[in-house]
Amino acid sequence: MATWRDFRKDPKLFNNLKIRERIIASIRHYFKEQNFLEVETPLLVPTVIPESYLEVFKTDQLDRRRAKKQMFLTASPEASQKKLIVAGLRNCFEITRSFRNGETDSQTHTPEFTILEWYRVSATYKQSMRDCQYLLRKIASDLHAFDKRKFPNASLICYQGKDISFQLPWTHLSVMEATERYADIGLNDITEKRAQTFHQIFSVSKIAAVAQKKGYSVGKKDSWEQIFNQIFLNEVEPEVRKLEKPVILYDYPAPMAALSKLHPKDKRLAQRFELYIGGLELADSYSELTDWMEQEKRFQKELQTIHRLGKTPVIADSDFLDALKVGLPKSTGVALGVDRLVMLFCDEDSINRVRITV
Amino acid sequence: MATISTSEFEKGMCIEYKGEPNQIVEFQFVNPGKGSAFIRTKLKNIKTGRVQEFTYKSGETVTLLPVEVHEMQYLYKSGLDFVCMDTRSYEQITIPKEVLGNFAKFTKEGDVYQIQLLNNEPIGMRLPKKVRLLVSEAEEGVKGNTVTGAKKTVVVETGASILVPLFIKTGDVISVNPQTGEYLERESQK
Repeated sequence: MATWRDFRKDPKLFNNLKIRERIIASIRHYFKEQNFLEVETPLLVPTVIPESYLEVFKTDQLDRRRAKKQMFLTASPEASQKKLIVAGLRNCFEITRSFRNGETDSQTHTPEFTILEWYRVSATYKQSMRDCQYLLRKIASDLHAFDKRKFPNASLICYQGKDISFQLPWTHLSVMEATERYADIGLNDITEKRAQTFHQIFSVSKIAAVAQKKGYSVGKKDSWEQIFNQIFLNEVEPEVRKLEKPVILYDYPAPMAALSKLHPKDKRLAQRFELYIGGLELADSYSELTDWMEQEKRFQKELQTIHRLGKTPVIADSDFLDALKVGLPKSTGVALGVDRLVMLFCDEDSINRVRITV
Repeated sequence: MATISTSEFEKGMCIEYKGEPNQIVEFQFVNPGKGSAFIRTKLKNIKTGRVQEFTYKSGETVTLLPVEVHEMQYLYKSGLDFVCMDTRSYEQITIPKEVLGNFAKFTKEGDVYQIQLLNNEPIGMRLPKKVRLLVSEAEEGVKGNTVTGAKKTVVVETGASILVPLFIKTGDVISVNPQTGEYLERESQK
């Protein structure tokens, strides 16, 4: 942890704060140079995008008669930023706090963290991949210019004893390529290609059989996503972590589409990627879903899952659906964990050492 | 046999993994992007000592193995093993060095330790928060060296070397974190 008491004992913690400040300055500079507008959006909101894999923070807002209104803390600035884009804003970015309840006891998660989120209109996730590369390369070279002793190389850093080169090209690997390579599972092994409905395509019994054969235990309530991710986390991710270059893992199976567009060539996949560097999952990006009807369907599905899992009930952001009805232009967005980015450049293995904690 | 859910995981617990007894060395929450919650664990196979990672689905159940904790008094060292006596049954038991891990270098004859047993076999110990040790050899702090945080190495009664602040002298009793081997504070002065 890094409470004020730890700061008194350990001067490295102050250095981490200085590096953090530099990184944030580089981020601002990168986006300002390209004419992105920096925005600030609400953290306290009456409705949220329902996300069944997250647990929300709920609170009460009082009016002048002390009547209570249920409010939530945002898990990301996505809804507000997209609404601004519908209203007419073009490229924009935000550095803000995000809140995800229950995410304690971890080196890489914490219930309150800093997120960088940006949107680029008239572009797809391919452009976001390029933005991630240029942004990270800029940060590395700015830090090198700032402190040549600590950062002796403009495109090479050492994280947890391993060199990571930011030189292009980075490793691009589709999720199913990686799964095929490291877990010996192809998309056809775990989906029903010719089925009609989403439910039939992503048949739980089909993937469950594959998982059980590999020795995993499968519970009655397990979802396709849970089974897939367990195999992924045990067999694929550890191998991805070993790769020397930053890794862009792209085209996720549709049950993990979240708010991304499905792939035009294969509806079983979504246009979504994640950036991994030094084993840290740093950023998540989509070609944004603009179809409000598909979005409404996903909302319903998420709300049902939240109910089934017994998580805190939320009020879905119908205003967001209204905005999509008006029309979100073709766009791509990225959410990047700023604390993890700071961990990477400070060579820290815990998120609790790159900011003051309570 | 009892089963537990991942939410009940604690370090040091013994669970069955692939049919073998394994101790939970570490565990942490992970949530892959847009995915459910998982628990990533480091498991140490009690028979082979091999440490491996396994990621459980949050809420998955596993078989908990019945580990007993007995108070044992350390009597003497025999080769690489530590002969101890169960303070309840007075039975003598030999504990291999590997079971004590890093703590082996802090053991003092006569001290009582909390030893974990699985089917009467010692598999580990519950580490105390701190261990008090007498400094047996310490050089004087070098004069003029006033940089805050300057450290020197001293040898304690058990033979272990510890990094301490310059003011520690031979005959002082210091406390040490047995997990990390780090100096905590001076307990008493000579």
